[in-house]
Amino acid sequence: MAGLAALVVGVLLVVTGAGKLFSGAAKLRGQAVDTALERRLRIGRAVAVLRLTGGAELVLGGALLALPGAVTGGAVALLGLVFTGYLAWARATAPESSCGCTAADHAPIGVRAFSRAGLVAAGGTAVAFAPVAWWSYAGDRPVLAGVLVAVGAAVVVSVHADVAVPLRRLRLRLLGHPLGGDPAAVPVEGSVELLERSVAWETLNPLVRSGLLEHWDDGDGWRFLRYTGLYAASRPVSVVFALSSRARLGGPPPAIRVALIALDTGEVLPAPTPEPVG
Amino acid sequence: MTSTDFDRRRFLSTAALGGATIVGATALGGVDPDAAFAAQHQPLDPAVPSSSFVEGRVTAIEDGSLLKVAGSYGERNSVRITNATSVWKLYTVDIDAVEPGDGLYARGVAMPDGTIAADAVWVNIVNLEVVIRGIGKNRLAMGHHAGELVGRIHDDHTSASYAGGALTKDLSRIRMGQYARVLGAWRPSDGAIDLARVSVGH
Amino acid sequence: MACSNTYLWAGETTWFCCGAAWGPCASAGGGACGNCRSGSYHGAWPNASAACYSITRPDLCSGEGGIPRRGCGSVMKVVQQCSRAAVCITITDCGPRTHSFCGEATCCSGQCRTNRILDLTPAAFSAIASLNSGKTGVQIYE
Repeated sequence: MAGLAALVVGVLLVVTGAGKLFSGAAKLRGQAVDTALERRLRIGRAVAVLRLTGGAELVLGGALLALPGAVTGGAVALLGLVFTGYLAWARATAPESSCGCTAADHAPIGVRAFSRAGLVAAGGTAVAFAPVAWWSYAGDRPVLAGVLVAVGAAVVVSVHADVAVPLRRLRLRLLGHPLGGDPAAVPVEGSVELLERSVAWETLNPLVRSGLLEHWDDGDGWRFLRYTGLYAASRPVSVVFALSSRARLGGPPPAIRVALIALDTGEVLPAPTPEPVG
Repeated sequence: MTSTDFDRRRFLSTAALGGATIVGATALGGVDPDAAFAAQHQPLDPAVPSSSFVEGRVTAIEDGSLLKVAGSYGERNSVRITNATSVWKLYTVDIDAVEPGDGLYARGVAMPDGTIAADAVWVNIVNLEVVIRGIGKNRLAMGHHAGELVGRIHDDHTSASYAGGALTKDLSRIRMGQYARVLGAWRPSDGAIDLARVSVGH
Repeated sequence: MACSNTYLWAGETTWFCCGAAWGPCASAGGGACGNCRSGSYHGAWPNASAACYSITRPDLCSGEGGIPRRGCGSVMKVVQQCSRAAVCITITDCGPRTHSFCGEATCCSGQCRTNRILDLTPAAFSAIASLNSGKTGVQIYE
C-alpha cells in the first residue's frame, strides 16, 4: 500500500519540476523574486537554481514512477529533506520572503510550504520501504488503490497550489480561454477614467463632492455622467458631463461638455465659458 | 426608468449638450479652480482624526436614508444619505441596495446633530493584491495572502486594464499566474468578490 | 518631519485596507508598522525599510531605483496631479509591489505619473479621489 505514494509524489514532482524547467525566463524570474534565494544570490543565479531544481524534481519524479524502490525512494526523501532545510534557512534569514516553490504562491513561508516539503520526504520514505511496486498493488486491488490515490491526491492538492494551478492551466489549454468581451466597447468606468484625467475634471473637480451618481447614453453617441456638488460653496447642483461614448484613454482628447443645474430649482446655472485656444 | 426619470434625463442631457465645451488644454472661465481649491481642499493634518470619513459595517437602516454603522474599532456613526449622495456597490446603486451586514466607507460632512451627511458611500468595496490562480467562464480563482478568493465576473460590470491601458470589457488577456490588483465588492454571504475591474501589469 | 511642500517623488497611488476591518481586509492586520488603520490618513511606502524594499522592488522599474527611504511615522503631503486635491498622511505600512506594474502611467493634462509608488488607506485616498477609481496620479511632498 505504501508503494502507492510513488504515484502521488511522482506525479507531483513531475508537474512542479516541468513547471520550473520549461517556464519562460520572465515567469521564472517572477517566481524567484521575493525568495530568500534571490536575496542571497541575486536574481540571475536564483533563476538558474530554480531551473536546476525543476530538472531534479522532474528526473526524480519520473524515476519514482518508473523505478520505485529503495534508491529512488531514498533520493526523493532526501530531496524533501533538502526542501525542508531550505525553508527553515529561508524562514530564519528572511522571514518575509516567499518560498519560490510554486509559481502560484507568493505568500510568506508558512505551514503550507513546510507541509509540501514534508509530504515529499514522507512519500519518498514510504516508497523506499514499500514491499511491492505501485502497479502490483494497483493490479491486485484496483478499487482500493484508486480510492487511496484519490485521497492522497486530495491531500497534496490541499497543500500544494501548484498542483491545482497546472490542472486549471491544462484545462485552459484544452478548452481555450473562457473569457471574452467586446474590445471595442467602452465601459462606463472607462468613460469615468477618461473624464477624471481631463481638463474638464481638473477645472470642475473643486465643485464636485459626490462619486458618480448616474449615467446614461443617448442614441447619438453621447454618454452622460452626473455628479453632485456645491456651486459657490453653498448651492447644491448637479454637475453633468457629456462625452462621446466611444472615447477612451489613449485616443485623442475628447470634447467634454458640462452643465451645472441647481438641485432645488432645476435652474441651469451660468455655464462656465471656455477661454479661446491660442 | 419612469417617464419622470426619462424627462429629467432628457432635460439634463439638453443642458449638458448646450453647456460649455472643454477639450485639450483649454481652461474654463467662470469657475476659479484655484480659489475653489483653497476653500475646499485644504491639506488635512494627519494628527487630527477625520470626522468626515466613516468605516465600518452597517447594523441598521432607518427611514430609508440613515445608515447606522459600527466601526471596526468600536466607534458608532450615523450616515445620512441624501439625493446628492452617490452610493457604490459594484456599480452606482440606490440606498435600497444596502443591507445590514454590509461593509462601508463613507466620505461626508459632520452635521451639528452628530450624523455624517454623506457625499459618497462605497459599500463592500475592496482593492486587493492577488495572483490569478484560475480562470473560469464566470469566475477567477485569486490567491490572496495565504488563501484563495473567488472573483465573480459580471458581463455588465467587470472590466480589465492591461499594463495601465484603457479599461476594456475584453477579459481574454487575463493570464494564469499574473499578479493583479482587483477592485470589487465583497459579498458577505459567501466571501466572494464581485469584480468591477481587474488591473494586471506587464 | 512635518507635512510640508518640499518635493519628494511622483507616481501612481492605489489604495488598500489595513487594521481591524471587515471582509477580506480582516486578514490585513496593522501593516509593517503595526498601527495602520483604514479609517486614518495612513499610507504604505515601497521603501519603508530594507526588508520592505526587497519585496516591493521599485529598482526593477526604470527610474525608481533611487526612491528614498521613509520609515514608519514619516509624514507626506500627497497631491492629486489633476485636481490638486491634497491630503497629509503618515507612513504605517510597506507597499505597493511596484515591480509588478513597471511602466504603468496615469496621465492628466499631458503630465504622466509612472509606476505605483504609494498605497493609501481608504480615508486618505477618498480625500483626493474616488475609491472606485482604484488608482490615481500624485505628487508627493514632505
